[in-house]
Amino acid sequence: MARPDEKTQRRVTVFGAITIVVFSVLLARLWFLQILTGRELSAQAESNRIRAVSLQAPRGIVYDRNGQILVDNRPSMVVSVIPSVVEENEVVLKRLSSVLGMSLKDIKKKLEEKTADPLKPRVIKEDVGQEVVVFIEEHQSDFPGVRIQSESIRDYPNGTLGVHVLGYVGEVSEGELGKKEYKDYSQGDIIGKTGVEGKYEAFLKGEKGEQRLEVNASGDPLKILSTKDPIPGHNLTLTIDKNIQQATEEALASALDLAHKQDYPNAQAGAAIVMDPRNGEILAMASYPNYDPRLFVGGIAAKDWEQLTAEESNYPLNNRAITCSYPPGSTFKVVTGMAGLTENIINTNSHFRCTGKWTEMGEKWAKYCWKRSGHGYVGFSTAIIESCDVYFYEIGYRFYKTGQEKLQEWSRIFGLGALTEVDLPSETEGRVPDKAWKKKWNENKPELQTWLPGDTVNMAIGQGDLLVTPLQMANVYAAIANGGTLYRPHVAKTLYTGEGRISHEFKHELIKDLKLDPGYTQAMQKSLELVCQKGTAAGVFSGFPEKVAGKTGTAQVRGKDDFAWFTCYAPADNPQYVVVVMVEQGGHGGSTAAPAARQILSNIFDIPYEPIKGLVDPSR
Amino acid sequence: MDFSKVIRKVDFALIFSILALCVYGALMIYSATHGGAEAGTDSYIVLKKQILWIVLGIFITAFAALIDYNQLRHYLIPIYIVNLLLLALVYFVGKTSGGAQRWIPIGAFHLQPSEFAKIMVIITLAIFLSTRKGEISSLKDIALAFLFVLPPWVLIFAQPDLGTALVLFAILMGMLLGAGIRMRYYIAIILTCVLVGFLIINFHVLKDYQMKRLMVFVDPDIDPLGAGYNLQQSKIAIGSGELTGKGLFSGTQANLQFLPAKHTDFIFAVIGEELGFLGSVLLLGLYFIIVSRGIRIAGTSKNMFGSLIAIGIISMWLFQILVNIGMTIGIMPITGIPLPFISYGGSSLWANLVGSGLLLSIYARRFV
Repeated sequence: MARPDEKTQRRVTVFGAITIVVFSVLLARLWFLQILTGRELSAQAESNRIRAVSLQAPRGIVYDRNGQILVDNRPSMVVSVIPSVVEENEVVLKRLSSVLGMSLKDIKKKLEEKTADPLKPRVIKEDVGQEVVVFIEEHQSDFPGVRIQSESIRDYPNGTLGVHVLGYVGEVSEGELGKKEYKDYSQGDIIGKTGVEGKYEAFLKGEKGEQRLEVNASGDPLKILSTKDPIPGHNLTLTIDKNIQQATEEALASALDLAHKQDYPNAQAGAAIVMDPRNGEILAMASYPNYDPRLFVGGIAAKDWEQLTAEESNYPLNNRAITCSYPPGSTFKVVTGMAGLTENIINTNSHFRCTGKWTEMGEKWAKYCWKRSGHGYVGFSTAIIESCDVYFYEIGYRFYKTGQEKLQEWSRIFGLGALTEVDLPSETEGRVPDKAWKKKWNENKPELQTWLPGDTVNMAIGQGDLLVTPLQMANVYAAIANGGTLYRPHVAKTLYTGEGRISHEFKHELIKDLKLDPGYTQAMQKSLELVCQKGTAAGVFSGFPEKVAGKTGTAQVRGKDDFAWFTCYAPADNPQYVVVVMVEQGGHGGSTAAPAARQILSNIFDIPYEPIKGLVDPSR
Repeated sequence: MDFSKVIRKVDFALIFSILALCVYGALMIYSATHGGAEAGTDSYIVLKKQILWIVLGIFITAFAALIDYNQLRHYLIPIYIVNLLLLALVYFVGKTSGGAQRWIPIGAFHLQPSEFAKIMVIITLAIFLSTRKGEISSLKDIALAFLFVLPPWVLIFAQPDLGTALVLFAILMGMLLGAGIRMRYYIAIILTCVLVGFLIINFHVLKDYQMKRLMVFVDPDIDPLGAGYNLQQSKIAIGSGELTGKGLFSGTQANLQFLPAKHTDFIFAVIGEELGFLGSVLLLGLYFIIVSRGIRIAGTSKNMFGSLIAIGIISMWLFQILVNIGMTIGIMPITGIPLPFISYGGSSLWANLVGSGLLLSIYARRFV
């Protein structure tokens, strides 16, 4: 056996070199970790073991004007798991799947959700039944890493009642989180999405509390380090009257029924509003079709959402009182009338002859009154009472000939073509058509760009391209009823702090004073009263103990059945309620919409309601 | 008895360092386990076991040191066979742990043959190589060397114990270098390995979790809660120790169970966190001493056989130190290689103590 020689000595030296290199590398890296970046790693070590848990703030309760609860909170049991404990454990996951009635795949999907804090329990199912809670708690050893917590969730004890006013809540979306107004929110927070839930989110949500805990690797709290209590959200009292709302929704439903009975099978949607003309308070706002806000609590199921947004469902999520706009039909004639009087196009004594056919623009462009046989010699009052189209064609044509778009100006004075800025989201401003609009609308069709006399004439009777929302019409009639003031419609009445102190009262707010001539206003008011006594709504209101003033309307929409309108206020001599009913494709206003208004007013004035038989209102 | 002669035969630096390492290890194991799930009702239980291994192991070291290592040359075949048998036994009576079969239960204890396999391979390979007269110049010799190591290597790799398989490879490479392999062949082997490694990764020969460990090594954020978790926690723990550490027994990462396997593979993280940079340097210092002594023993051995054994042992230590500590600080992929003398485990400790005893034996007999 040879003694190691020089060569071996050299090789041994190589090992020495390798050793030096290895230790140097380790030392250098340790220097980097511990000396150079040690401080930040220290901080990371700290943050590993201290957890801040946010404490849910109770969301504000919503009441009607008489203190009846409309939206509330209730406790819900939530099943959550610690991912690191449960992840690889197929047995436990299978047990969970069977006890919760969820597929294994759905559970695993919840576990994989990325953005949530990895050491925080992951919510698997909310609002589980008592049996589930009891089962899991009794078999705790079979469910390691499974936790049951109590959480507060939104409750709508009246189901679908007033859903378009109340709105619904849901988890804040990624898109919303990016926006400025949601900068204080984090993933998983529940926010109001629409209605007052959405509009008054900032008041209803309160302020989250925070608890700082020392935890171990499983997320189990070991010690509470500090607690900041949550601040409950403000409670909100609405101007809505629950009973009137109920009656309004029922009336709207029976209006649809009535339409179907009168051979208008396409009547599938509508809106109705009850408003106080003295201050803009909305006592009821109904829209049909509607939906159940409870579907959204805990997250809406995909199939429910698809159904709500499918075309066949006719878009129940839309609040047709403010989100959709329609031609107003003859209900617009009050604007034409007031405009005509004030601009001296006509006066209260002006008369025109209605023969049923009107050819002032030429034989080629003849227009007809709804009453083909004509109304004869018609004055201002009769024109309103009988809704004579020819009278208003005349006014419209004269407006056209002034060349100054005054009819449009008066529409805007009455608030049309603009938002009322009611405190609900998704309002549309409708449309007041004029020369500029028509040109732009038909940019690609130059032959249609010119404003024609017929356009103004049509507009005068509320047909054509004029579009209004039921709320805008309610406000028009409120202005007539109260002598010329447009108030801002609103649904919120009072905000209270969690302890019950008043935080803010929503008083009436002026949009503008229309400065209507009192003489003209009175003439109009009287005429509207007579509409319900001997005019197009006489049949509906015969025998009604309260004096009602109103106007029927039947709007023509291309490709569809006529849309039925009825706008009114009562009591006629001291108006406290404005009622508007609109039924899409419901036929004639007097036949379909007016009876619903009577039904609503019956409830308001505590009059027993009798359904009216055999009504036909052929007017527009 | 001539005292000075005895003193010259004994490598005190080596003995002292090894004892210091054993004590250091015991201390850190206690810190890592006294509060945790492993301890159960007796927070000293893991420590007690380790102390038992240490005490018994010292006798083994003494035994190995006192015998004449040259006698081993006569036992090439028996040692080789016993090695293979023990490794094969794992497949038949072995206990599975973490998806691998590595242990043989003996009464209340667990024997991990792959740890002893390393020593046995070192010895048998040293015997083989030392007959080549200090030159490995022919390809045949190189091939034979590989074939020699192959059977135990395969048995280990198939457990699957990729870590120990890599250690064996490091031992082989180290000993080939020490035995005088021609440089061109050596470089060729290294290049072949790189190529093979590349192919292995691309063709998914490795198991899923092994691939994950490699990927996580490259980018720890890929799997922050799974394979990347240990790595992140380990770096945080070590880094947060800063200069002087959080203090003995008070590492929050370890005590609060953020770091799994803290008494075995990740024990260095406990040192890094509790004793900081200074504690890490102390450990590295002790390792540096034993490796340096090993190199010196290799250089002053009276024969090739002794040199080769010494080279094999230091190759093993160097590789394990580099990979284990490197893994905890994020410059090496995660493998299941224990830290010599420090990681909890009887088999690993005894194997290293046997190695130490052999070194002492070689050193003692360097004069004759």
